Amino acid sequence: MLLTRSLPGQAFPHEMRILTAVAIFGLVCLAGSADDNVARLLAAKHVQNQYLVEGRDLTVTYSIYNVGTSAALSVQLTDEGFPESDFKVKHGMPTVNWARIAPGTNVTHSIVLTPLKSGKFNFTAAELSYVPSEGTQPQIGYTSGPGEGGIMPERDYDRKFSPHILDWAAFAVMTLPSIGIPLMLWYSSNRKYRISSKAKKH
Amino acid sequence: MAAGKKLTKEEELLLQDFSRNVTTKSSALFYGNAFIVSAIPIWLYWRIHQMDLFQSAVVFGVMTLVCTWLIAFAYKNVKFVLKHKVALQREDAVSREVMKKLSDADSKKMSRKEKDERILWKKNEVADYEATTFSIFYNNALFLFLVIVASFFILRSLNPTVNYVLSVGLAGGLLALFSTGSQ
Repeated sequence: MLLTRSLPGQAFPHEMRILTAVAIFGLVCLAGSADDNVARLLAAKHVQNQYLVEGRDLTVTYSIYNVGTSAALSVQLTDEGFPESDFKVKHGMPTVNWARIAPGTNVTHSIVLTPLKSGKFNFTAAELSYVPSEGTQPQIGYTSGPGEGGIMPERDYDRKFSPHILDWAAFAVMTLPSIGIPLMLWYSSNRKYRISSKAKKH
Repeated sequence: MAAGKKLTKEEELLLQDFSRNVTTKSSALFYGNAFIVSAIPIWLYWRIHQMDLFQSAVVFGVMTLVCTWLIAFAYKNVKFVLKHKVALQREDAVSREVMKKLSDADSKKMSRKEKDERILWKKNEVADYEATTFSIFYNNALFLFLVIVASFFILRSLNPTVNYVLSVGLAGGLLALFSTGSQ
């Protein structure tokens, strides 16, 4: 979700009272600002694939919701979390712009990437900048970060999920002579002598 | 048999026919077949379990040789047990066939002993052939079945190398064990 840029504070025990006062002040400001005519964006970043596999498509979707009362202007979404050494962009753009996002609406954006390496990868938040209302300074926020995900080597994925139909067919072709030929030889001899012994009995 | 008395040729042949030892030709057939069957699982582990052929060459080589020996051992045992059973069952049919083949003139010329020897020889040949082919078929099918069950069901979650060694070793071992059990 969107985390608008705020001052990071370090809490020390002797400053607790001051901090509490500041927090209460902040809450009052937030409550007051709900009535202001500004845009408020919430943004989420999701990795859509159940399995992340080296060399196979990986889809990332960004959803942006304007929960404010005014349109957000000059919205720019930038994702620098996919370095060229680790990912190749297959479809879509890592940076996208919207001139405005109306209040109470949402937009989505997707990109398809190809992971080049296997192993652990930390999917970080994308950056979002927008102008909350006309004449104000651009505001910067971040989408949610999907967190760390393991990218499976293609070989492991194949081992788990590929049906290997051709490989099994080749295996059948290989095993057939070693089972079929002795069976046929035995059967032909067995039939010959069994029939003649039965014929004698009758 | 008195000590020092030499065996007659017929006795030697008879002993050879019913002994556990196999001829060189038969032995080559067994080891050749056993080698082919024990090498087949390598394909499954290379293509499906994604083992590297070159990195695992030593494991593949050692296990194939061990299995070749175990399977050939099972072939011999199963053949030995089957040969006696088949020989008993085929007696009538074989003697009928031999008698049919002999012309009347030949039949009159031959002594009863000679005829019996011919029948015995033919019976052994038929029993040997049927026992050999059935033993190869039975052991090959059982080995491949055991390997598939072990590698794709019982030991599926294990590391491919451990899976290979265990399933191939287990299948070969069980085959050798089963072959001795029915004696």
